[in-house]
Amino acid sequence: MAALKEKRTCGQRCQDFGRFVWNPDDQTFMGRTPEKWVYISLYYVAFYVVMTALFILAIYVLMYTLSPYSPDYQDRLTSPGVMVWPDAYGEEGVEIFFNTSDKKSWSKMSNCLTHFLQPYNDSMQNQNSHTCTQGKYFIQTHFSGPHHTKWACPFTQSMLGNCSGIEDPTFGYADGKPCVIIKMNRIINFCPGNQTLGPYVNCTVLEGSDNVRGMEYFPTNGTIDLSYFPYYGKLAQPTYINPLVAVKFDMVKNRKVKIQCRVVADNIAHQNFYDPYEGKVEFCLTVSS
Amino acid sequence: MSKQDSYGMFVEMDKVDGEMDVQIKKKKKMKKKERMENMKREMDIDDHEITIEELELKYTTSITKGLTSSMALQVLEREGPNELKPPKGTPEYVKFARQLAGGLQCLMWVAAAICFIAFGIEFAKGDLASEDNLYLAVTLIAVVVVTGCFGYYQEFKSTNIIASFKNLVPQQALVIRDGQKNQINANLLVVGDLVEIKGGDRVPADIRIITAQGCKVDNSSLTGESEPQSKTPEFTHENPLETRNIAFFSTTCLEGVATGIVINTGDRTIIGRIATLASGVGNEKTPIAIEIEHFVDIIAGLAIFFGFTFFVVAMFIGYAFLEAMIFFMAIVVAYVPEGLLATVTVCLSLTAKRLARKNCVVKNLEAVETLGSTSIICSDKTGTLTQNRMTVAHLWFDNHIHAADTTEDQSGQSFDQSSETWRALGRVAGLCNRAVFKPGQETVPIPRRIVMGDASETALLKFTELTIGNIEDYRNRFNKVCEIPFNSTNKFQLSVHELEDPLDLRYLLVMKGAPEKILERCSTILIKGQELPLDEQWKEAFQTAYMDLGSLGERVLGFCHIYLNEKEFPRGYRFDGDEMNFTTSSLCFAGLISMIDPPRATVPDAVMKCRTAGIRVVMVTGDHPITAKAIAMNVGIISEGSETVEDIANRLRIPVEQVNKRDARACVINGGQLKEMSSEELDENLKNHPEMVFARTSPQQKLIIVESCQRLGSIVAVTGDGVNDSPALKKADIGIAMGISGSDAAKNAADMILLDDNFASIVTGVEQGRLIFDNLKKSIAYTLTKNIPELTPYLIYITVSVPLPLGCITILFIELATDIFPSVSLAYEKAESDIMHMKPRNPRRDRLVNEALAVYSYFQIGAIQSFAGFTDYLTAMAQEGWFPLICVGLRSQWEDTHLQDLQDSYGQEWTYSQRLYQEYTCYTVFFVSIEICQISDVLIRKTRRLSVFQQGLLRNKVLVSAIVFQLLLGNLLCYCPGMPNIFNFMPIRVQWWFVPVPYGILIFVYDEIRKLGVRRYPGSWWDKELYY
Repeated sequence: MAALKEKRTCGQRCQDFGRFVWNPDDQTFMGRTPEKWVYISLYYVAFYVVMTALFILAIYVLMYTLSPYSPDYQDRLTSPGVMVWPDAYGEEGVEIFFNTSDKKSWSKMSNCLTHFLQPYNDSMQNQNSHTCTQGKYFIQTHFSGPHHTKWACPFTQSMLGNCSGIEDPTFGYADGKPCVIIKMNRIINFCPGNQTLGPYVNCTVLEGSDNVRGMEYFPTNGTIDLSYFPYYGKLAQPTYINPLVAVKFDMVKNRKVKIQCRVVADNIAHQNFYDPYEGKVEFCLTVSS
Repeated sequence: MSKQDSYGMFVEMDKVDGEMDVQIKKKKKMKKKERMENMKREMDIDDHEITIEELELKYTTSITKGLTSSMALQVLEREGPNELKPPKGTPEYVKFARQLAGGLQCLMWVAAAICFIAFGIEFAKGDLASEDNLYLAVTLIAVVVVTGCFGYYQEFKSTNIIASFKNLVPQQALVIRDGQKNQINANLLVVGDLVEIKGGDRVPADIRIITAQGCKVDNSSLTGESEPQSKTPEFTHENPLETRNIAFFSTTCLEGVATGIVINTGDRTIIGRIATLASGVGNEKTPIAIEIEHFVDIIAGLAIFFGFTFFVVAMFIGYAFLEAMIFFMAIVVAYVPEGLLATVTVCLSLTAKRLARKNCVVKNLEAVETLGSTSIICSDKTGTLTQNRMTVAHLWFDNHIHAADTTEDQSGQSFDQSSETWRALGRVAGLCNRAVFKPGQETVPIPRRIVMGDASETALLKFTELTIGNIEDYRNRFNKVCEIPFNSTNKFQLSVHELEDPLDLRYLLVMKGAPEKILERCSTILIKGQELPLDEQWKEAFQTAYMDLGSLGERVLGFCHIYLNEKEFPRGYRFDGDEMNFTTSSLCFAGLISMIDPPRATVPDAVMKCRTAGIRVVMVTGDHPITAKAIAMNVGIISEGSETVEDIANRLRIPVEQVNKRDARACVINGGQLKEMSSEELDENLKNHPEMVFARTSPQQKLIIVESCQRLGSIVAVTGDGVNDSPALKKADIGIAMGISGSDAAKNAADMILLDDNFASIVTGVEQGRLIFDNLKKSIAYTLTKNIPELTPYLIYITVSVPLPLGCITILFIELATDIFPSVSLAYEKAESDIMHMKPRNPRRDRLVNEALAVYSYFQIGAIQSFAGFTDYLTAMAQEGWFPLICVGLRSQWEDTHLQDLQDSYGQEWTYSQRLYQEYTCYTVFFVSIEICQISDVLIRKTRRLSVFQQGLLRNKVLVSAIVFQLLLGNLLCYCPGMPNIFNFMPIRVQWWFVPVPYGILIFVYDEIRKLGVRRYPGSWWDKELYY
């Protein structure tokens, strides 16, 4: 044992290592002769080729079993998320702060909305001209649309009235009555509400309710029409577009308010502590001048 | 052993010290030298030279009244109690710190430090979300500390066992203070105390003798001399060790009485100084510690290699330097097998526990394995190999040597007792004997009864009690009328008895003594009950028998008797022992009885087992070479048919010098020869003769022998009990102290304690040590394997930017919760083959973790597990809406907390939290995959060469329950409510448990194929590359 425990100097260690890298006595490089290295490498190449093949086979089988139209499970998507635009994040979540007199600050917001509403352009939406029956779920069992698809109801910019940005491209940001747009996430085969009562958006002021003189929903009452549901997936409904609700706030200047907008329907959860965006969205709004 | 030798021992100690100095730094050397000088100066005591009056003055005491109580109390306060302190230098906190500084521990400290740095960098960047690094660092430290506590507790517990020995018998001393005799605890003695010692006492301190009557002291624990030394008040030699008027602490007073003044107490006694010196001998690193360091080297090398590779890759992909740095650190840390330390500690302590049940107490956990790699055992004779009690071994009567039963439990064969001669011999042995049993021992088996009397009389008493029956009653029937006890001038002992038969009025004279002296007094010899004249033929027969018994290393006594002439010595004749007014010649020779300290019954078998296990057993004893050789032959240390150089010379009738030394397998070297030898010669001897006996050695020479064995590359175990054995015990790779006869110093220096002083326990230790080495290998292989499936998710995450498949907390759960029990359960695995038929492992070649093990675990089994994990991961992702291809490059969007409507493959939109829980689902399925594969892994690790079915798939019940436990814990983690938000485990779909099952089967089948190849084609390329 004594020999094993001898303290070796760094030089000796390096020498030992050098000997390990190339040992001229038995012609070994890192403990193996070049020939042995070839063998072992070939073995490993074969091993990994086989393993990769098995893996690819497994993934192939997996993909083969999957439906292209709807996922097997929606364990995480039991209730849709809700988001507000402009999605300007600050330190405490979404913070829509702007200055009416500073064009740069509010145009950032309005540009965001303009950009967001591009797919909702009336002419684009009217291309897939399917007239939907309002007030009831648009249930389609057959692929009756073009190219083996299902129909999707159009939602046009103009449905957002004063917040559509058509008449007022500043979305009210210039005059301190800002519009925000609420969007509910889409989930395949999810039907919010029930046959008679559709979901609607309801905004409440959590902090500083005195600073909000009033709010106006577009479409009226913030209703989301049932005909947009259910969603059948990207492949079945390539033209599907989420229905939106716009809210226009009449704000007292230079006051901060905290607003919660909730999509109300009896099967949309909104009290999940761990997901602040499930069924509702909270944001701060401050209009300064 | 001459006195010169015993003095020379200090010179030897010097040498040890000197050798050590070379290893230590210069500064220390100076200090050490100084200390040594001090010690030597202190040795120059003059208390034996000065007169009694000067002595009284020096210690302000009186040789009649002793110290005053108040004075004694003062001195006690000043000088401390009279006891040997355990060697200093290892305060409790140092012991604890040592537990935290092993090879693996260091690795984990470094990893924890890296985690803190990584956390610091992330924190500085304002990235508060990732606290994983902090958790990891805290966990790593916690693991080190907890296992450290565990090891410390183990050491503490075994130290306690030693402590309890210490407290078992508080030594008493008879002290005279204020003119009053008092019995006090020996540790309260102080310098100047007047003490009395008598036969049977342990000398309580270093004592200058004032008065003595026939006082003899056994110095063997100090000098190794087995001859008792007589102590007298006269100053006979300048050297304190040789003068007769000093008795030393811890030696035993055999007979006589003496009074003396205490001149040194506690650590200042001669023996105390030797014990302190012993603490200077460096402790050897245990083989397992070396193995673990080697393993840490491998791990660290691989970790840095991998980390660096991916650092370069990350930089190449376009990550920022800081980010790449964090990746580097994370990979290095991911390589640390967090669970391994716990596994190793638990496995070792399980074995320690198992050993403790078999009477081996292990002080240092790592020493558990050392016995397994031991290749030489240097064993003491007395008490370890032998029973440490004189026993009648042979009898010679009727011109035959009869063997007596020497087994401890009297289970052996007895001799033919029908002869008339035996009756006469037995009668002499029973009557001519002054030893008696202590009363009140009727229930104790005869061999274990306590006897008052010297060793050979005790042996004869027990022997006659066993063969004749109640000897006390027997003696009463033969009324004793006269007795002459043994003395060294006569060399015989005799007694005269009336006969049992009241009608027979003759007296019987019985005599025993040194055989040649007895024979001189005899004119007839008893053969088959017939009194025949003792002619030359019988004398020759006697000589042969005497020589034969003597060569067995036995102590031989002769016995004779005579019926005294009724007319010359009528009833009532006044026998006078001093005048010897009766016949003491022309006696009738009855026979010879020889005695020996017989080997323990279990020893020959144990030595044989050691031999088959490739371990050399070397006897190192202070006893006489002939006795040592006889016992060595008896127990098989010198095997049948082996000859020493002298034997060969005898057989061939040639001078010793002409014998080819290589022909002699055996060799007996005595202390004197050893002293003359250079270390090269000793090495040469050890190499040439496989069977060695060292006799008449001073315990210091043990140290030299141990060093020589270690020079030859052996791992050496040493057994010993005396204080002077402690340097050798410490120097040995594993020191084994005797629990019953061992001194505290020996127990302190040792790594292991045999509670029953039984050599056979060592064999158990060897077996367990080898088993644990094999099983640790399996445990480590099992533990290492999952490192790869834990690491690859991160590598893929970095390079392909998929959502993270396996989180840090989940990894910790695998390492420290679910996989601990299975890896520990491998410690319960039975040996694959007869480990006691294999050679001890070669510490240079047979490593605990070798390249083959690491490579096979990492790049084959680990790779399969990774594939299993990714299959399950991709399944869970795809079935929830994320197809494999969309995952690639998804990372930045996936982890964007501001993105609440990320679209999956089906066009559904996910909030950040929904994605996060999906990620947790992935962690969980990856976790489940690793678990399932690890079940397969633990099954394949049961064997390295045999098929699992040959070993018994479910035979290891602990392992089976460990698998069940692992599954239950996995289910608990998955399905216990609240887990998602605490530990990031999600309740996953049941079928995802079964996705990795085919991979598990693949692992099992693949390994069976590997083992088949290894078994079928030993030595082939396959065997070399794939056998670990």
